[in-house]
Amino acid sequence: MNFVLALVFGAFFGFSLNKAGLTTYQKIVNVFRFTDMAVLKFMMTALVVAMSGLFALRGLGLLTFPNIPATYMVGNIVGGLIFGVGMALTGY
Amino acid sequence: MKFILNYIRKEEWSPYVAGILLGMVGVAAVWLSNSLLGASGAFENLAGMIGKAVAPAAFDNLYFNFIMPPGITWGLILLVGVFFGGMIGAATSGTLLWGKKGAANSDAQWKRIFGPQVWKRWVLAFIGAIILEYAAGIAGGCTSGLAISGGMLLAPAAFLFIMGMFASGILTALVIYRKRY
Repeated sequence: MNFVLALVFGAFFGFSLNKAGLTTYQKIVNVFRFTDMAVLKFMMTALVVAMSGLFALRGLGLLTFPNIPATYMVGNIVGGLIFGVGMALTGY
Repeated sequence: MKFILNYIRKEEWSPYVAGILLGMVGVAAVWLSNSLLGASGAFENLAGMIGKAVAPAAFDNLYFNFIMPPGITWGLILLVGVFFGGMIGAATSGTLLWGKKGAANSDAQWKRIFGPQVWKRWVLAFIGAIILEYAAGIAGGCTSGLAISGGMLLAPAAFLFIMGMFASGILTALVIYRKRY
């Protein structure tokens, strides 16, 4: 049952990425060139919607949070720095 | 109704509309499955599974035993869904290039910067993907698994990651594009 849900969520995830244009090289790279900010608009909208939804539902006692990604400052920042290189190179 | 159908057929949505859709999927995933959307972790699960079968000694370490246990995980199934979801998205707007000539290197801007050869696209994608997956392993997630899914739980790690990602992404784009930046 959980796997069926995963398939459905994945399909909507992929669908929204495709419709926002994030499956193309130029969209990803152009955000780093400040010529097309669609990636940021998309990411931040998703963040704000999910954030308010999740915290509201938790406030109502309807859900509990899964494991929150661990914070280890150096690892997170260094990982992000290397990640950016790959992202600008491939556009994925 | 007709408006909605026409909008689905559009090739490029407003990023705000697509973002709202992703946000709602993110909430639903936590609510109904108690899981976070992500991509990079699933590849590690898969790699661990293959590795354990091929070279069990090399993969018998802390990382693959406890941090990223191998197996068919929720995230792996999610990735299958992402693959088909992306295809559905392209099919509804009539831009699906599956099996068409030059589909592997179809981006006009990429061709302008690196050249029209298809093999170049494959090689660069392969090298870049190694960098991406390695970095995601260090940071504890990728753009979806850490930046978006972590960010919506207000995890500090997500915002550190986004900072690093944009800092080096901008620098890399500067190096690649130089005068064309």
